[in-house]
Amino acid sequence: MKDILLIARAHIATAVRERVTLFWFLIFPVFLLTILTLIFGQIGEEGEISFDITLLNRDRSPSAETPFSDMIESVFRELATAQDEATQPLFVLHTPEEDADLEGFLESELTELRRGRRAAVLVIPEGFNDTVMGSLIEDSAEIATSSEVGEIDSLRIFMSDTSVSSEYATQIIQQILTEIDRRILIQSGRFSPDRAVSSETHWIGRQDGETPYVDYVLPGIILMGFFMNGLFGVPGTILFSRDRKVLRRYWVTPLSVLRYLAGFGLGHLTLCGLQFSLLFLLGVYAFGATINFAALDTVLLLVLAAVTFMAFGFLIASLAKTANAGMATANILNIPMMFLSGMFFPTSGLPAFIMVIVYANPVSYLLEGLRRSVGVQNSTIMPSIWIVIVPLLWILLSSLVTSRRLKWDVER
Amino acid sequence: MTDAFMMKVSRLTKHYGETRAVDGISFTVPNASVFTILGPNGAGKTTTLEMLEGIREPDSGEIEIFGARLKRVTRPVKQRMGVLLQDGGFEPYLKVHEILRLFSSFFQNSLPVDDVLEWVALSEKSKALVRTLSGGQKQRLAIGAALINDPDLVFLDEPTTGLDPQARRNIWDIVSGLRARGKTIILTTHYMEEAEALSDEVCIMDYGKIIAQGAPKTLTGDLGEETLIEFHGENVSTQAMDQLQRCCKATRSDQMMITLETEHLTETMESLFAWSREHDIKLRDLTVRQPNLEDVFLTLTGRRLRG
Repeated sequence: MKDILLIARAHIATAVRERVTLFWFLIFPVFLLTILTLIFGQIGEEGEISFDITLLNRDRSPSAETPFSDMIESVFRELATAQDEATQPLFVLHTPEEDADLEGFLESELTELRRGRRAAVLVIPEGFNDTVMGSLIEDSAEIATSSEVGEIDSLRIFMSDTSVSSEYATQIIQQILTEIDRRILIQSGRFSPDRAVSSETHWIGRQDGETPYVDYVLPGIILMGFFMNGLFGVPGTILFSRDRKVLRRYWVTPLSVLRYLAGFGLGHLTLCGLQFSLLFLLGVYAFGATINFAALDTVLLLVLAAVTFMAFGFLIASLAKTANAGMATANILNIPMMFLSGMFFPTSGLPAFIMVIVYANPVSYLLEGLRRSVGVQNSTIMPSIWIVIVPLLWILLSSLVTSRRLKWDVER
Repeated sequence: MTDAFMMKVSRLTKHYGETRAVDGISFTVPNASVFTILGPNGAGKTTTLEMLEGIREPDSGEIEIFGARLKRVTRPVKQRMGVLLQDGGFEPYLKVHEILRLFSSFFQNSLPVDDVLEWVALSEKSKALVRTLSGGQKQRLAIGAALINDPDLVFLDEPTTGLDPQARRNIWDIVSGLRARGKTIILTTHYMEEAEALSDEVCIMDYGKIIAQGAPKTLTGDLGEETLIEFHGENVSTQAMDQLQRCCKATRSDQMMITLETEHLTETMESLFAWSREHDIKLRDLTVRQPNLEDVFLTLTGRRLRG
């Protein structure tokens, strides 16, 4: 037993001491979790994100009895006001001075948008109040035609197609405008709130006890860590050790391949455990993750994932003739297997021929199983039993190929 | 063990495709001796050793080791063997003592790691990573790993290849120490001075066959009582060479080294000096020596070991 433990220890020590390995297996997943949570974790958390937007209200006609443009402006001003000292408002609102040249102001704000200093620019056109009022009065002869409304009096939202922030800000503005429109219709009696489809908006964030973003991303990052550990770590270690004749030194001793495998597997699983612990602790203590991995089915799924990816690594080692070929094969498989698993975006809408890969990909099943077991994903494209069967089939296939094809010593 | 030999090899054969790497060789390795397999690159030394170490399976033949006849080397036999591979590596990010501790765990009985470290003069490097060691230190670590189980039979495959003279001397000291402890050592080398300095018995291989076997003194003694005189002679004309060959047995090698063989050293030297004065030839790198294993190989094959 001592030999198995010491082989495991050697495997761990090598991985931890080698900077490149350490980066990819421990630091990179931690880095990715941090980046994803910091960037995307704030989106949707009320009070923790703010967009710089510009509002240019050009419809300042005093004749308007119902100043809809002022109403819109006041809503945005409200959203640009902090509710308390601890909370940041949703918008930082930029509006022209009283005596400002509106054309010049608009031009300069659009420049700011292009430079990424504004998330969106909203322009309320002249005649907007009249257009809205006209549309509310049935059979009014003075109403402008719809084509005229479209040409002259539409609200205009300018956004930058190169900025994610701009895209989010625009979506929020459109939602606000839709809500304002609905309320106008209700107040004018043209729409009954009883007939409306009721909906509530819930912010995804810590403040109101809902699932934080980090809970969604953490299972995927943990699996990605296991995946890279298996896909690159296993063939890398085995093939480089073989090609540098490190393994040959073992084979001239009484050590058997099976005992070496036992030690290697133990070391690999321990590394996965270390990786998991680090990511979990970071998720909980740094980013407020609330998911619980302590349930038996979750633990078993984590072990199944680590073993499946390790087996996959052995499969690559069996098919590659040299260490470099093994790394190239791992690189080729890495991207499609990760991206066609639902790790970063949903796979349900993909074309049928790509869905074949999704369904053959063990990562898809393990990821969905893990997300389901920790309660961050309810809907599924996979039947439950396949979440276990498909990875087991991959383990079986990999073991068969490994036992027949893997060369444990350099060939003459 | 009551047998006088540690290992007996009979009709051992190994092919790589069409190439017959080892061609039905047989030899016996006496107990507590240094048995050296000498030969040029590609002679079949390493393949022979790999079959004896259990890395490769022979196509045919038999190995009798520790009193048991085997077709291939088994794990119980490996418990009593220590192997230094020609070019095996170590995990570069493990420490020296970790490597030895790891290897000691593979055996039922092993020596204390600190003792082995002292034996191979690596105590001060105990906590150093393998990647920081010099070539000589790595080779001493490899020897330490081969000796960790206090083996009865030690295989050393080209232990000094690529090492500087000082590191080579250190390895020689370790081999001599092993022999003094009563270990049996099977050594391969293509350095004849190493074979002569360390070996009790030498087996010379060429093209997969054994072409000579015996104690170094016996093998060189078989060449007769002649003394060899050598010098560089790249500017020696054919006419001058003919004249030299008339007074003594002279040959010119590919490297333009001229060798004279004589049983009458004084007379031959006088003739050589007269000849050099007459033809105005400088006797560069002139040496006088007794025949060695290189000469044995040259005599048997017409080629030099390190051609």
